[in-house]
Amino acid sequence: MDPTFVLQLVVNGIVIGVIYALIAMGLSLIFGVLEIVNFAHGEFYMLGAMAAYFATTDLGLGYWSTVALVTVGATCVGVVVFEALLGSVRRESFERSILLTLGLSMVLQNGAVFLFTTTPKMVQGSYTYTNIGFAGMQVSVLRLFALGLGLAAFAALYAILYRTQVGRAMRGVSQSRDAAVMVGIDPRAVSRLAVAIGIGMSGLAGAALAPVYAVHPLMGFSFVFKAFAIIIIGGLGNVSGAAIAALALGVLESLIGGFLPQVFVDGLAFGAMILVLLVRPQGLFGRGVRV
Amino acid sequence: MRSSARTTLAAIALVAVLFAAPQFYRSEYVLALGVSFATFAVLSGALNLVYGYTGLLSFAQVGFFGLGAYAAALLVTERDWSTWAAVAAGGVLAAAAGLAIGYSSLRLSRHAFAIVTLSFALLCMIVARDWVTLTRGAMGIPGLPVPVLGLPGGASWRLAKPLDFYYLLIGYAVLAHAVIYLVVSSRIGRAMRAIKLNEELAQSQGLDPLAHKLLAVTLSAFLTGVAGGWFVFYLTIVDPSVFDFYYTETMLIMVILGGPGSFWGVLASCAVLTVVPDLLRFTTDLRMVLYGFVLIIAMLVLPGGLGGWLERRRLARWRKAATRSRT
Amino acid sequence: MRKLHTAFGAFLLGVLSGLSNAQSSAPISIGSSIPLTGGVSTFGQHSRWGSELAVAEANAAGGILGRKIEIDFQDNRCNPAEAVKSVTQMIADKKYVAIFDGLCSSAALAIMPLVERAEIPFIIANASATAIAEKSGVGGNKWTFKVNPTDASMLDALVTWLMKENKAANIAFLGEDTDFGRAGVSGLQAALKKHNLALASVDFYQKGTADFTTVFAKLRAQKPALLALYAIDADFQNAIRQWYGAGGGIPLTGRVLVDQVPKEIMASGFLDGTTSVQPYDPSIDSPGNKAFVEAFTKKYNTAPILISFESYETTRVLLDAIKRAGSVQPAAIRDALTKTKFPSILGNTIEFDQNNLAHNNAVILGIRGGKVVVLGFSKT
Repeated sequence: MDPTFVLQLVVNGIVIGVIYALIAMGLSLIFGVLEIVNFAHGEFYMLGAMAAYFATTDLGLGYWSTVALVTVGATCVGVVVFEALLGSVRRESFERSILLTLGLSMVLQNGAVFLFTTTPKMVQGSYTYTNIGFAGMQVSVLRLFALGLGLAAFAALYAILYRTQVGRAMRGVSQSRDAAVMVGIDPRAVSRLAVAIGIGMSGLAGAALAPVYAVHPLMGFSFVFKAFAIIIIGGLGNVSGAAIAALALGVLESLIGGFLPQVFVDGLAFGAMILVLLVRPQGLFGRGVRV
Repeated sequence: MRSSARTTLAAIALVAVLFAAPQFYRSEYVLALGVSFATFAVLSGALNLVYGYTGLLSFAQVGFFGLGAYAAALLVTERDWSTWAAVAAGGVLAAAAGLAIGYSSLRLSRHAFAIVTLSFALLCMIVARDWVTLTRGAMGIPGLPVPVLGLPGGASWRLAKPLDFYYLLIGYAVLAHAVIYLVVSSRIGRAMRAIKLNEELAQSQGLDPLAHKLLAVTLSAFLTGVAGGWFVFYLTIVDPSVFDFYYTETMLIMVILGGPGSFWGVLASCAVLTVVPDLLRFTTDLRMVLYGFVLIIAMLVLPGGLGGWLERRRLARWRKAATRSRT
Repeated sequence: MRKLHTAFGAFLLGVLSGLSNAQSSAPISIGSSIPLTGGVSTFGQHSRWGSELAVAEANAAGGILGRKIEIDFQDNRCNPAEAVKSVTQMIADKKYVAIFDGLCSSAALAIMPLVERAEIPFIIANASATAIAEKSGVGGNKWTFKVNPTDASMLDALVTWLMKENKAANIAFLGEDTDFGRAGVSGLQAALKKHNLALASVDFYQKGTADFTTVFAKLRAQKPALLALYAIDADFQNAIRQWYGAGGGIPLTGRVLVDQVPKEIMASGFLDGTTSVQPYDPSIDSPGNKAFVEAFTKKYNTAPILISFESYETTRVLLDAIKRAGSVQPAAIRDALTKTKFPSILGNTIEFDQNNLAHNNAVILGIRGGKVVVLGFSKT
């Protein structure tokens, strides 16, 4: 077993894991604060990538300005989505929220197919073909950027949740909505912020990865189901749990894929999720499914 | 007594019309629509049983559909079973899967159940695509043989024409709906509705929620699995597209529009949604966008669907009559 | 007197317009079932463009049998259930003289029994499953015809070529987990077996996979002599980019879409040494192909791909058969199809064997010096 090979797999896995984490953390946050499973989460990732494509191709923006612009845009979209749709769904009607976001996902995904066709769009930038080689391994510099952005986003989210008043309010609502209301926290304002941040992170992931992967309307579909599995494994509503589970999944998928047929990789996320549900339903890191 | 006699008469009339229709419309297209309607009627009826009556949002139906389909196809092509037996076995296999999923995840919560059923459906598709030695993977199993069904009395029925499949599937849809109707109008059905409304209260009255939920899931899985078996023999090919998420989305729209828990509402919306999109000839993308909007609006404004709205009006009228009679 | 003149004038006008009406009445209708929406709608679009171009050219030359041709497209979403529904509807709607394409193998296989029952010829331009030809022609479905060569025969030609350069011994395979990819594996394995060789390894990925870094790391560690790649569409773009990012180092083969490699990667010489087999390439230097590429690009503002060409040529084969049949009766058209001897743009003559399968030339393509070169043609 070639150590360089294994190391390359681990490095690849970390990069993929951070990408999963960006998407899963937002999903987990939204669930924790609103108790809504956002089916349309993958679509915001896709829209972020689409927006990045148009920004780069039609407006000629560079990588960093595109990412910044799309992230801000996605956060605003999150506010709009909350105000228009999610804010009015009551907490008890869990099924309604799933169906609502499913409907939203159908509109966004099929609308994108209709408007943009399924032809894959490749973003060409100055960094597209730049690689960095070290210790016998090769990593595309764009992936390192995505890794950096992911870590920055996680750090920022952590800072917000644990060092600011509003972050504490979010954690409070996530723990017990009624108690939070009793101490004077406005759940609506907190929910709005959670949705904005969650969707913003999805958009950020999309924009960061637009130059790495082909951009097309169905790209969010495969990620979102893995994100569901990740948040169950990590513990529904537990943001750091989601991040750790995401990273672990990324590395495991990479290692397994390096030695076994691809089918084991595809089934890994779902298999692990079912295992966790049977053995430790509250998720590996607790504060899991509320009965 | 009066209204149930009326219902029975209406039902018999409907069945008669469905069976007589091909005599007047000798078009293969109408038959194809009929087959599609019958299949989706069973799918949405079964989903209605689980979601509408028992309150469990399940995404697993399409998994049961495909499981029954593949089981039936494989038993006939690999093991030379008769089509009756193979399709029935497909239904049993789907029911067993439903039991397993239900038992493991219903003890947790409705959140877990929803996500597990979703993953089950996805896992089914992954297995169908990857386990090539069993399912022939993405290439599917084409050329399914013409079913020859042994009928009571020694005769045999060769389903070589679309007309045959029309009769078979409409017949099966009627049977399935009869079963569902019997269940939902019995004590079991009332218990399911009680559990949907307030589980703790139902439990305190001595009802066993888990048993009833499992019954709903298993029965709906069986019915759906059998429908899957017949459907792929009609297509003469089974491939992983039988697990397409598109079926889930369509079933859900039919149930939501018709009204979860409304037997006739769901049937009606199924009929409308089978026929109208083909008439309008929208491209599929726009149709799905429209369905998405309908879903969103239904969830925001009209969660009971058409059936629920009609029910509310009926209650309002009854209330008005009751208060009037008191004065 | 004036009234008579007016009446005569009106009469003449009426006769003339009546004649011209009769001339342009009742166009010949062809039905096409392709994936207009869904995951492979790009291919459906190109199939549509190819057939439309052929029909437009035929109409500009006066039509067939003095009548205009029209072609109607119905969506089958690459899905047998949709295909059965839409083709049944098409056949019931209107009198089509033939049904075209299917494009996806599972859709085509589901359509085959329908056309047999309706007794309308079905001519396939793009589907890859070997089962189609196996079930057609003598002793099978007499109404189905397949123009594009099977993957097995193309890969046979490729392996023969690679054997000449002594490169066939250590080939690793990476392909999409569909009809297309699986046909690639079985075709390669069958072709290699004839020379007592086998594939070094087989890996599949799910269509729509974004990330190939893991499997590429694994393959590079394995160090095969060649990597056979069976990827299309978005997956191909992702794979090539990530292959570049991973450092490459192993020449590619199989059915590499050499005409869709990003320009920068092509020009950098990174993919030099690639040897690929395809039924067609836009860079083929023949007057017929140049004319086709020019006409296509002018009409649709984009270069044709394999699918567009196959549809174009297959439509022309169909139109030729209608002309030779001298009638629009489906049975006559079918008989005319069996006797086809159509000159292909690839320089060969298209004829159908007893399984209603044509054996057109395949093109062996290479990337040398940063450019696509046609290395040779091979009979399939």
